[in-house]
Amino acid sequence: MTRMTTSIEKNHQGVALMVLLENRGKKSLFMAHMIAGLPTISESIQVAKALAKGGADIIEVQIPFSDPMADGPTIAVACEEALKKGATVKKALEVVKKVAKFKKPVVVMTYANPIYRMGIPKFIKTISNAGAVGLIVPDCPFDTMEGWSLLATCKAAGIALIPVVSPGVPKERLETLAKDATGFWYCTTRQGITGATSVFASDLPAFIKTLRSTSELPVAVGFGVKSKKDVKDLSKVADIVIAGSVFVVALKKNKKISAVEKTMSQLKL
Amino acid sequence: MTERETFGGAYIPEMLWETLQQLIAAFEKAKRDPEFQKEFRDLLKNFSGRPTPLIFAERATKKLGGAKIYLKNEGANHTGAHKITHCLGQGLLAKKLGKKMLIAETGAGQHGVATATVAAKLGLECVVFMGNEDIRRQRPNVFLMERLGAKVIPVEYGSKTLKDAVNEALKFWMENLEKAHYCIGSVLGPKPYPEMNRYFQSIIGREIRSELQEREGKLPDVVVACVGGGSNAIGSFYDFVPESSVRLIGVEAGGIGKKVGQHASRKIAGVLGIFQGYKSLFLQTDDGQIAPTHSISAGLDYPGLGPELADLYQEGRLELTYALDTEAVAAVDFFAKLEGVISALESAHALAHVIKIAPKMKKDHIIVATLSGRGDKDLFNFARAFKDKSFRDFLKDEYNRYD
Ligand SMILES: Cc1ncc(COP(=O)(O)O)c(C=O)c1O
Repeated sequence: MTRMTTSIEKNHQGVALMVLLENRGKKSLFMAHMIAGLPTISESIQVAKALAKGGADIIEVQIPFSDPMADGPTIAVACEEALKKGATVKKALEVVKKVAKFKKPVVVMTYANPIYRMGIPKFIKTISNAGAVGLIVPDCPFDTMEGWSLLATCKAAGIALIPVVSPGVPKERLETLAKDATGFWYCTTRQGITGATSVFASDLPAFIKTLRSTSELPVAVGFGVKSKKDVKDLSKVADIVIAGSVFVVALKKNKKISAVEKTMSQLKL
Repeated sequence: MTERETFGGAYIPEMLWETLQQLIAAFEKAKRDPEFQKEFRDLLKNFSGRPTPLIFAERATKKLGGAKIYLKNEGANHTGAHKITHCLGQGLLAKKLGKKMLIAETGAGQHGVATATVAAKLGLECVVFMGNEDIRRQRPNVFLMERLGAKVIPVEYGSKTLKDAVNEALKFWMENLEKAHYCIGSVLGPKPYPEMNRYFQSIIGREIRSELQEREGKLPDVVVACVGGGSNAIGSFYDFVPESSVRLIGVEAGGIGKKVGQHASRKIAGVLGIFQGYKSLFLQTDDGQIAPTHSISAGLDYPGLGPELADLYQEGRLELTYALDTEAVAAVDFFAKLEGVISALESAHALAHVIKIAPKMKKDHIIVATLSGRGDKDLFNFARAFKDKSFRDFLKDEYNRYD
């Protein structure tokens, strides 16, 4: 963790994730998810602004991919719409750059293929220059050729490569991941995909305990977070609470970006 | 590609890691377990009807005037295609793992019907994901799956074809890991699926070898099979990989042209990528988005090539080519009239290639083409392709018979 703090602090945007986590006191932080290019490229920057204004502490920007394996219908359809409206990886990376200007740490999330196609070094260099502090790639385990390459490249760039884990992942596997994990654990509230139900796994608290006994990394928890009650419940066990689909739903229902800010401030404790 | 690529792997969310480890262990054990082998063989023989016949296509051979043509009739399997073989294998493994449900994706509906059949036979629940576009093309198979007790869930987004059905099946699996086994329908997906389905399907090639040995006393010169994900192809080829005299030819869907979205041929436009848990050649855009595909046959309408086939292709051991929609339809007609076999539109891609190469080959040379499935499921598509007026009238009448 100390190793991470120093490299993250070198990040030129000056929004150090670790510093934020260390100074948070007793309150958990809020990571709000958005899709670059939804509803359009330029409006998605307004969405980020609304999330920041509404009280998000960290912003997770998803770069749309045609076939998002870990996403439920809400985010999958939204990514499809973003792509139809002309979003590309290149344009989405421009969004990351603009979002980073709002002085909140920005974490990029996408799938293996768009990164692989661009080339791992080029992709990491671009998000690093854009000011991102972390990267989440749910379909690229650390122990693959591309995983190793991502780990090395992210480390050199001072970007945290954040593992996504779920209740049910055995301790021995967590221990293997912990050797290389940086930033925080992205722990899903249950096995499954984003959106869908707010039913959290009954063994979630026990799993988080296992995570904490495995490494010192902070724990972010998300998937299915829809209400203030969800946030309250999860903040008892999490360092960071994550929500995403709920903002997509708000945006679609109201067709106004202000709805995103409102939803965010309603969720925030 | 300067360096040799390693295809395959397991590019999956961590939540699948443990489940795949268990599956790998069960598969490794099954390979060495005489009881599993006995059960599997028994079901293949006494349920599916193996061995399937090797048909000497005598009239087609004469007409084309070149190599001797044999058809390995996988369409003679119970449910009408090769798919049931890997379903039986996986169904038995699922039972050993204590699972209560089989999940499947389906394009043509063949793998869905086969999975639903095996689930019924083995006493498992069954959920099948199928793109809306494919439901439109292969509606009768939806009816059959439902009769077999399966729940068919339409996939309403993405391109609404096979790849989207795989996505949704994977997602549903992640939500039901305890209870369900995902019975992937081709030699694709994360480790151990490509190897596992190839292991089950390689009986096709072994039978070809022994049947041809009995009839001709020698090896084939060419083995041809259609390639969607590649299960019938690698199943047909695998036994012959070490036999350098045997040419192995995979035939992909050439669709209606070479532009993006007009075909499903990785030879034409496949680029190295990572998708649906494995690394291989995929049809994709410069942006790394998975590209739309087209084929008249739902079963070949898929953007990725099974990783073991990609490996053989890279090595130069496997040749890839393609047949157009129109060539496939013409090949169905050709072999129906001359040989009395109505081929599935998928398999007809292999037959179309036979029509192209047989006349150029010597008369003492032998081509074996795998007829991966029979054409019953394509009845409506054929009727439309041949603009059959009386069938159209029949449909109208049939419609009126419903209240
Ligand atoms: C009859 C038939 N042949 C071939 C295929 C293509 O699959 P594969 O390439 O895995 O054999 C299908 C798939 O649905 C099929 O139904």
